[in-house]
Amino acid sequence: MGVIRAEPARVTDWAAKSVGAAWRAFDLQLATYAGLLAAIGLVMAYTNSAENGAAVIDASTTFIRGLMWAGVAGVAFIIATAFDYKWLKTLSWPTYALQLGLLAFTLAFGDGIGNSARWVTLGPFTFQFSELAKILMIVVLADYLARNHHKLDSLGTILSACVLVVPPLILVMIQPDLGTSLVFAAILAGMLWMSGASLKWLAALAATVVAMVPIAWNYLLLDYQKERLTSFLNPTPDITGSGYQLYQSQIAVGSGGWFGSGLTNGTQAQGDFLPVQTTDFVFSVLAEELGFIGGLVMFVLFALLLWRVLVAAWRCRDPFGTLFASGLASMILFQLVVNVGMVMGIMPITGIPLPFVTHGGASLVSLAIGLGILQSINIRQTRAEW
Amino acid sequence: MNTYLGGHPAPERRFSRYVVFALAVVLAVGTLTARLFYLQITNGTEYAAISNRQRTVLEAIPAPRGQIYDRHGRMLVKNVPTFAIKVRPADLPAEMRDEVVARLAALLAIDPAEINAAIDGNPGSAFDLVRVAQDVDRTKAQLISEASFDLPGVEVAVEARRQYSDGPLMSQLLGYTGPISAEELADLRDDGFQPDDLIGKAGLEKQYETELRGTYGSERVARDRTGRKTQVLQTEEQAIPGASLRLTVDTRAQKNAQKALKWAMDKIGMTRGVVIAMNPQTGEILAMVSLPTYDNNKFARGISTRDFNKLLNNKDKPLLNHAIQAHYAPGSTYKLVTGTGALADRKITESTRITTKAYLTLGDTKFYEWNHRGWGPCDIYCGFGHSSDTFFYQLAGKLGIDRLAYWARQYGFGEPTGVDLPGEVAGIVPDNAWKQEALGARVFPGETYQAGIGQGYDAVTPLQLINAFGALANGGRLYQPQIVREIVGPDGKVVRGFKPKLLHKLKVKPSVLQTMRNAARNTVLLRHTYNLVDLPIKIAGKSGTAEFGRPDSKGRLPYSSFFIGFTPKDPRNGSFDKHDSELIVMAFAHDSRTKGNAATEIVKYFFQLHYGIKADYRMPELLERTNFYSND
Repeated sequence: MGVIRAEPARVTDWAAKSVGAAWRAFDLQLATYAGLLAAIGLVMAYTNSAENGAAVIDASTTFIRGLMWAGVAGVAFIIATAFDYKWLKTLSWPTYALQLGLLAFTLAFGDGIGNSARWVTLGPFTFQFSELAKILMIVVLADYLARNHHKLDSLGTILSACVLVVPPLILVMIQPDLGTSLVFAAILAGMLWMSGASLKWLAALAATVVAMVPIAWNYLLLDYQKERLTSFLNPTPDITGSGYQLYQSQIAVGSGGWFGSGLTNGTQAQGDFLPVQTTDFVFSVLAEELGFIGGLVMFVLFALLLWRVLVAAWRCRDPFGTLFASGLASMILFQLVVNVGMVMGIMPITGIPLPFVTHGGASLVSLAIGLGILQSINIRQTRAEW
Repeated sequence: MNTYLGGHPAPERRFSRYVVFALAVVLAVGTLTARLFYLQITNGTEYAAISNRQRTVLEAIPAPRGQIYDRHGRMLVKNVPTFAIKVRPADLPAEMRDEVVARLAALLAIDPAEINAAIDGNPGSAFDLVRVAQDVDRTKAQLISEASFDLPGVEVAVEARRQYSDGPLMSQLLGYTGPISAEELADLRDDGFQPDDLIGKAGLEKQYETELRGTYGSERVARDRTGRKTQVLQTEEQAIPGASLRLTVDTRAQKNAQKALKWAMDKIGMTRGVVIAMNPQTGEILAMVSLPTYDNNKFARGISTRDFNKLLNNKDKPLLNHAIQAHYAPGSTYKLVTGTGALADRKITESTRITTKAYLTLGDTKFYEWNHRGWGPCDIYCGFGHSSDTFFYQLAGKLGIDRLAYWARQYGFGEPTGVDLPGEVAGIVPDNAWKQEALGARVFPGETYQAGIGQGYDAVTPLQLINAFGALANGGRLYQPQIVREIVGPDGKVVRGFKPKLLHKLKVKPSVLQTMRNAARNTVLLRHTYNLVDLPIKIAGKSGTAEFGRPDSKGRLPYSSFFIGFTPKDPRNGSFDKHDSELIVMAFAHDSRTKGNAATEIVKYFFQLHYGIKADYRMPELLERTNFYSND
């Protein structure tokens, strides 16, 4: 009897203890900052929908689709959190295969503007698999570097990590999507740095990359990519050509002032002067309508989010977790700097989305999965105690 | 870090790498914040201004164009609202252009080539509207408006078009308005002219463009990236309507002039002629008719290429105002210059007799009297009255070419009169300097003879000719002919009143001109002008016949005829001893080749109509064609 009665009680105890421990280890701050940033993204989707003159509450608007994707992202986040991340280590090679498969699939069946192939259309939705590929890349690299974390002084390990990045990078370059391929490179650099790899070899690697820039410039980059890369240096002379977006974007940002013109009142966006205002240039709308204060709030949220990711990396006892967090932080930081820098005219135009804020399901869901994995890592570090 | 967990060594965590990474985050966010501050706070005002400037634009509000009235206040032109079809090339996708143009052409029932020509000739930028059709009727405009979905870039606009009350009667004077050309726009853009403006293209519409146009207003208009108007925000400046013109022209006189000229032209079968009537005391033009002419309403409605080419290719140049924009040999009318010069330079007195005969010989050349007989010894009254060629050859010989040219210039020949109409030509007064420059030789004595009777190199405009006789009629004051009497502002106030514009006084004693006036009267009295003397009014004047062009198979040249006549202030009882004439009329009958002087018949008819003379003194038999150089 006692035994019989004791069984469920233990189970209950175990469950209570487990959920409590998991909840304590769950980084609520991290989730909050991410949620707030996603909310900013929804607000921007709302204002852009209103400005386009359509009814805001309509299945076709950016805002409603944004809401749906936020829901999907929430579910993805919960599932990823619940999922034991350690399986990822086991499934590292299949993950790599999945990543390459998705990118190849995009190339084969994807659509894009002109001859490009950047997203895949599935029914009413389009999905940019390269966003998910970034998270999968982090998983693969984290696993590889974690397995070899005793051999990080060796050039072989570092080069092998680089070699792992090359196939997906090439697949993305072919799309062509220069921005995402640069993100891959940034993830690799950030993870190598945080893994504690030999400074000597990292310096050598950096020198090599710098030396290869002229070669890439001459043989790999397309003309429009070069034009976009350079136009930020001097946008005003050709304000009707490639410098147009940049010029308009700076005007939008600049006219925001301290507090901005208020949501849906952005004259630049309303007049349709701003190209791609819901995606790559979403920050210019934010800066125009919410002003310096709005922009600052967003920066602070990003800084806090990155802080929580770094804390997770530091606290983690598992090299995989540390490296995964590092990769995620590198990705978010790089995208933030390049996107916002681009909008404000201090970075070249590359077409990199602003994490959480840029409208786009793939980006948001992939980030949710990434953060979910991070939470999974957080809550599963204490399990060794019991 | 020596903690072990589950037998695994804890990962080596390098704090320095975290610090560097954290610093990178701080640096990145700091840089972005600094840049944001720089754009929004430091330069915010500037960017806000740029944003405002490109988001909104000042658009012109066209001012109602000024009206034109005749001297008695009769309205000659008014503005009527019409539909125009305009295209904004930037909104017309290149791949759809052929299709859209074809559809639009079908709706408008015009040639697609005309639409294409209008779009390609767009003086403004691709974002500016181009007018492809004017004066489209309401039904077509509605159809096009309704089909706008299939006609991207096509807009229906309401604009004011000029409606000329009398059409061809006044076309040469009023001119017309039309779409601004690229060249005109380049010159006028800084003055606020718009790429789709209608501006004066000829006549007074062109001459007084600035006054008639008024001052365009402006409104601030919100626009989107493509430049399309989204809404009018506010009117910044109201348009000020253009000033109105009140002409010196009397519609009745103009009609009479046209009627007289047309009568003769139809009778003779000639195709080009001019009649001008002026007040010699003021230089006011009462009537100015140049035929053939055109209908300026066709231009105001947007003339078709076909019709325009027809006008351009007509050998009689209907688009030219032959009264001022073409010059002709003046023939014997020029003897006014020779006679005045000889008297003023004291080469003769009013009683000096000079032998006239069948011909004069100069070297091997014979210079014939026009009747091949002469009148024996003749004074100026006789010589001018009979229009003796041998008399005036000799006077020209006495004066010499340079003095002859001097007196021609005194009468205003050789330079534009300055009448307020565009495109006036100067004519030619030959002298040694002119010939040296134009032909590289001095004037031969024979050429001086020719110049003395208005042949050879002499070339005058009909307006110069009547103006010269005007100076004779008014006692020696050469006025600038005027066609606009006053300019009246939109508030009804006279902006510029009428004042005769004296060019100069002839450097000649009044007695000389009195002699010449009586000599001119003698032309009529001697019946050189047939029955002109029989009219119940007193007319003095001078006829002329001038050869031009190429000789026919029998060596005869075609010729034109002139007559200028004026009446005293009291036409029935006045005297030409006085210089009080208030009406001078001239006619030019190009290539007339009639038995009598065609121009004289035209002027006679005009006087009959003008003074309401019931009896008809016209002599149609004089207007029969002949190739004989019969009457001078």
